Amino acid sequence: MHNQPNSRRRSLLLAAGAAMATPLGIPMLAHAQAGEDIVIGGSIPMTGVFAFAGVGINAGIADYVKIVNDAGGIKGRKVKYVGEDTGYKVDVSVATFKKITSQNKVNLYYGDSTGFAKTINPELDRNGNILMAGASFASELNDPKKFPNQFLVGPDYTEMFGILLKHIAKEKPGAKVAFVYSDSEFGRDPIERSEAEAKKLGLSVAIKIMTPAGSVDVSTEVIKLRRAAPDYTIFHGYILAPIPEFISQGKQQGMKSKWMGTFWTMDSSTVMKMGEAGDGFMGVMPFRYYYDTEKAPMLEKIRALRPTYQSTAYIQGFLAAMLFLESAKRCLDAGKPLTGANLKAGLNSLKDFDTGGLIGTPITIKGNSIPVGRVYQADMKAQKMLPASDWIKL
Amino acid sequence: MRIGTFKESYVADATLFDSRTQKMWLAIAGALLLLFPFVASDYWLYLACLVAINVASATGLNILTGYTGLVSLGQAAFMGLGAYTVAILQTRWNLPFAVNLLAGGLVAMVGGIVVGIPSLRVKGLYLAIATIAASFIAHFLFANLAITGGTAGISMPPAQLFGMELDTSFRLYWLIVPVTIVMLIGAANLFRTRIGRAFIAIRDRDISAEVLGIPLLRYKLLSFGLSSFYAGVAGGLWAYFFRVVTPESFPLLMSIFFLAAIIVGGMGSILGGILGAVFMTMVPELLKLIVDLLPGGSEYTVFLSPVRTMLFGLLIIGFLVFEPLGLAEMWRRIRRFFHLWPFRN
Repeated sequence: MHNQPNSRRRSLLLAAGAAMATPLGIPMLAHAQAGEDIVIGGSIPMTGVFAFAGVGINAGIADYVKIVNDAGGIKGRKVKYVGEDTGYKVDVSVATFKKITSQNKVNLYYGDSTGFAKTINPELDRNGNILMAGASFASELNDPKKFPNQFLVGPDYTEMFGILLKHIAKEKPGAKVAFVYSDSEFGRDPIERSEAEAKKLGLSVAIKIMTPAGSVDVSTEVIKLRRAAPDYTIFHGYILAPIPEFISQGKQQGMKSKWMGTFWTMDSSTVMKMGEAGDGFMGVMPFRYYYDTEKAPMLEKIRALRPTYQSTAYIQGFLAAMLFLESAKRCLDAGKPLTGANLKAGLNSLKDFDTGGLIGTPITIKGNSIPVGRVYQADMKAQKMLPASDWIKL
Repeated sequence: MRIGTFKESYVADATLFDSRTQKMWLAIAGALLLLFPFVASDYWLYLACLVAINVASATGLNILTGYTGLVSLGQAAFMGLGAYTVAILQTRWNLPFAVNLLAGGLVAMVGGIVVGIPSLRVKGLYLAIATIAASFIAHFLFANLAITGGTAGISMPPAQLFGMELDTSFRLYWLIVPVTIVMLIGAANLFRTRIGRAFIAIRDRDISAEVLGIPLLRYKLLSFGLSSFYAGVAGGLWAYFFRVVTPESFPLLMSIFFLAAIIVGGMGSILGGILGAVFMTMVPELLKLIVDLLPGGSEYTVFLSPVRTMLFGLLIIGFLVFEPLGLAEMWRRIRRFFHLWPFRN
């Protein structure tokens, strides 16, 4: 009579023991199995507010890794990509980093936010074996001294403004510019330095308007903007809302401004959601769009792999993986071990590097960013973003 | 079956750990906590530290909401006050971490007392809204004051102990877990004192408590102060753990997280705060592990990530529907089963 509950309890204990041992034991096992693979880890926001980007980034990295592995890997070494969802939360991103790095010998890492990039930086410095890039274009990260093991897959936010301002100064010298930005770290990032940059280029900043990130009612701000009568209005720190509201109300009130955005607003699908208000909307894009017709062998490969439209976040993930593995290749070519410093040196040795057309001009990476971009403009009839400038290098 | 636990004196009745079995299990738990850092990977150590920080803050909220009956959605803001205080003291004056943590707790305590002032006049949802307002004010201050570093926040050096930098999860474990344990023992003891009893009386019926001679405002403010002190210290630990404090580090969602943690764990129970914080922190991670164990799990991450989030939501709803008294009540039932075993019926 006693045997049954006893054995049940014993099985329960065994099961609990196994459950405890599995998560604790897996890391050691996985470590042993990691072998000589080149490992890319990723804290990717596949749920939450940035899921729209994370899904594309994840696919972009995975596809490039597949292309490289299908071609035999890097100097005979296979590439392994381990990405996990973070929900765009810093604590989860760090947990993901810890998990992936304790289960794999990670060489390269993709992070999901500025907060994560800043939080994990001391760990990267301490670890010394990882080069990291990510979804953040924060100007603060563009400092090789403070962030020696990180880089941005494109221009930082201040550089994005710089590219737009350079375009404006060329198109309409002495133009009046307005900055509309969100009350967040993301929004405020480039404003102060860009104001100085505008003055240097002979432009005047007519007004700066800060709004809550997801604000809906912007009527009072539009009135202020109309009074300032800018020739160009640059939005930053938003994905979509409240940009369409600003534009449609501004147009209704007779504003003649040209409307512009930065990277996270500029995906084709995002701009097309603006509807009529988005016609003629311009902005800076560091990469080619999926459907660009200019010669780009890598885009052709992507289109062959995925016949439907892929977001600019996908291109960003794809390019990040390309730069990661190019750095690793250069390291291995030079017979150096894959440490953070060597990988970064490999990245910084890129001079007039051809990205296969993902960026329409050869790139050189001196520091932590790729200060190149192009101004694109929305054509609502064609439902496409079309080039409005040549590639602008800072 | 457990026998011989009847009490012969008031002191015995008020003892924190009343039986030998309980003491034995606590000793085992203590030994496991001591052993854990030496066997766990960096990932599990990280989670253990995060859980400990969340337990400290959830316990603070439990003092206020679970024991005193005052709803608050400002816990994250108080954590922010503590974190910023610690970060400022550490970066500007390089004071010892113990002083910083204490100062963080005290500054948050003052903030909590100020926010608690409306609690004499308003209750329930009204008070919740007042505390939300506090969150927004705190966020505004964090984002706009020069001393807080604006939206970029403050990056800080690691805590130091006898010249050794506490910069890894292993080393931080020895700071965070003991502080949390001390705070837990403090909270458990609080409810054996006159103050704790007054809190419970206010929660059960504030008018009756006043008739009994309990000054409501004083005790409500004290409850706010203590709860915020816990949040402030937890925020300070958070700051040492992540070493970057920004205005976006402590969103309103975090306050909701702690409220959910004490509801899921069991309000008005120290164990409830612990179990709730562990559940809320660990279940999403465990669901990730399960997804990884599925055949081809990692390839389907994109599809499984939202499913995991929904499953987590469903689990919380399930608890609220089927076990409104929370995990602590389930734990009590399990204990009862073993106390009575083998006489289950």
